[in-house]
Amino acid sequence: MKQLSDQKTGPTPRSNPISIEHVTKSYGGAVVVDDLSFVVKPGRVTGFLGPNGAGKSTTMKILLGLASPTGGQATIGGFAYGELADPTGTVGASVESDAFHPGRSGRNHLRILADATDTPAERVDEVLELVELSGAANRRAGAYSLGMKQRLGLAAALLCDPPVLVLDEPGNGLDPQGIRTLRNLLRSRAAEGNTVFVSSHLLGEVEQLADDVVVINQGRLVTQGSLTDLQQSASLVRAASLEALQVTLEAAGGVVESGQPNTLVVRGLSLDEIGEQAFRAGIALHELSRHNDSLEDRFFAWTGDPAGGTPRSNPKEEL
Amino acid sequence: MNTLRTIRAEVRKLTSTKMPLAFLAVLVVIGAANATAVAFGTDMDGSKTFISTAADQQSLMAFAANAFVIAGLFGAMAVAREYGHGTVVLTFLTTPRRPKAVLAQLAAVFGAGGMVGLVGAGLIAGSVAVGLTATDYGFMVSLADLAQVLAASTFAGGAGAVLGAGIGALVRNTGGAVTGTIVLLIILPPLAIQAVSEAASWIPNTLANVVSGVDNAVGMGAAIAAIGLWALVPAAIGLVAVTRRDVV
Repeated sequence: MKQLSDQKTGPTPRSNPISIEHVTKSYGGAVVVDDLSFVVKPGRVTGFLGPNGAGKSTTMKILLGLASPTGGQATIGGFAYGELADPTGTVGASVESDAFHPGRSGRNHLRILADATDTPAERVDEVLELVELSGAANRRAGAYSLGMKQRLGLAAALLCDPPVLVLDEPGNGLDPQGIRTLRNLLRSRAAEGNTVFVSSHLLGEVEQLADDVVVINQGRLVTQGSLTDLQQSASLVRAASLEALQVTLEAAGGVVESGQPNTLVVRGLSLDEIGEQAFRAGIALHELSRHNDSLEDRFFAWTGDPAGGTPRSNPKEEL
Repeated sequence: MNTLRTIRAEVRKLTSTKMPLAFLAVLVVIGAANATAVAFGTDMDGSKTFISTAADQQSLMAFAANAFVIAGLFGAMAVAREYGHGTVVLTFLTTPRRPKAVLAQLAAVFGAGGMVGLVGAGLIAGSVAVGLTATDYGFMVSLADLAQVLAASTFAGGAGAVLGAGIGALVRNTGGAVTGTIVLLIILPPLAIQAVSEAASWIPNTLANVVSGVDNAVGMGAAIAAIGLWALVPAAIGLVAVTRRDVV
C-alpha cells in the first residue's frame, strides 16, 4: 500500500489539522456558511454538529474542494485540498451516502478508486473485510441497505489509509453493531494521531464518540471545544433564597436557568465566582457543584429548542 | 502516470455496468435488421440494384453517421449518470484538478465511443456479407474501402461520444443529456439546412459519409476537422461548466 511519507509536498503524516478560516458561502443571496472559523486537531475525534441546513455538508464540501467558498479558506495541514500532493493518501472522505452507481458492485466501486489512486487490488479486499462488507462485495450497490452503503462509503474513505478522515453522517442507517464498530474504528484512528472530523445529528452517538465538538447553526459558529468542558460549563447551585441569588448572578453576567426544585443552573460564571457573589450578597449556599448536561440538552441550548426556540445564551462566553 | 491511472479508472467505470452490453444489443439488432434487408429487401422496382455495385455495398456499410449518434447517446448517458448518481464526487476527490479529471473522462469516453463505432461497423459489414449470401451478388467492397468504413465509424463513434459527454457534463441529467444529444444531432441539422442550404455539407451525417468514402460534399481533411469541432465544442463547454461549478 502507498506510504503516506511518499508525499513530496504537503503536510507531514499525523500532523494534519483541519483549519476553516473565515469561510463564507452564499448561493445567490442566501448565505449558507457565514464567516465560519474553527480548527480540528489531530489525535482527536471532532464531532461537527448543527441542525439540518446549518451548513455542515457545505462546509465539508468546501474543505474537500467540491465547492468554492465565497470568502475565506479551508485547509488541511496548511494546504487546500486541491493543492495536496497526494489528496486521497492524505484525506479519506465520505460526503454522500448514496454516491454509487446502482448497477455497479461494491467491489468494482472500490476498484475504480483503487485504479485512480494506484492502490493495490488486495487493499480493496482488506477494507471490505474491515467494514464487514466482504459477503456483499459482488452484489449491486443499488441493492444495498443504507447501512451497507455507509459501510461502502467508509471503505472508500479508508482505502488509502489516510491520516485525515472527513465523514458526513457516517452513522446514518447503521445498526447498533455497525455503530459500535464505527465508533471503535474512528476512536482507534484518532488514538494513532490521525485527524477525524465527523458530522452527525445522532447526538448520543457523538457523545460517545467525540473528544471535541464544533457546533454551527445557520452557517455560523455557535461553539467549539472539548466536549467534556462544554458539558461541564454549567454549575448547579442550591440555596435557600433562589430569587435573590438569581438576581445577583445575572447582575454578575451569569446566565441562570431554573433547575430541579430549589436549584439553579448557572452558565458564564465559574464556581469561584458564583461562591464569591453569593457570599457578598449574604446568601447561604447549600450546594455548589459542576453540572453535566447531556449533549442533547446542550445542543438545544446552543441551537434553539426543537419547537423553534432561540439559543438561551451566548455559548462562546461559556468557554 | 497520474493521467493514465485516471483514464484507467474512467475505463473501469464504463465497463463495470451493463450499459455497454445494452448498446451492444442495440448494435446486434441493427446488424440483424441490415442482414435481413440485404437478403430480402428490394428496390421500388423489385430489383436488388441497391447492392449491385461495390459503391452501393459500401454505402450500406457506412455506419459512421449512425455511430456518431449512437455513441453520442452512450457518452451523454455515461457522463450524465455519473453526476446523477453522485459518483463524480469520488472522481473529484481522487483528481481534484477538474480539467484533468474531465479530460481523462473524455479520453475514456472517446475510446468507448470508438469501440461502439468499430463494433457497429463490423457488425454491419458482417451482416451485409451474410445477407449477400442469400442473393445473387457477392461481397464486392475492397479491403481498403472496408478498412476506411471501419476507421470512419471508429472515429465518428469516438467523436460522437465526446460530444455526448460534453452535453452530459453540462446538463448532468440523463434524460436531459439524451434529449440534448438528439436535438443537436437529429433535430437541429435539418432545420439548419432549411435556414442555410450550404449547411447540408457540414452536418454530422454528411461529414460521416465523407470520411466513410461514400460522399464527397467536402474534402476528407475538412470533414475530419469538422467532425472534431462538432465533438470538441460541446466538450469544451462541458469542461468549463464542470470546472466552475460546485458539486452539490
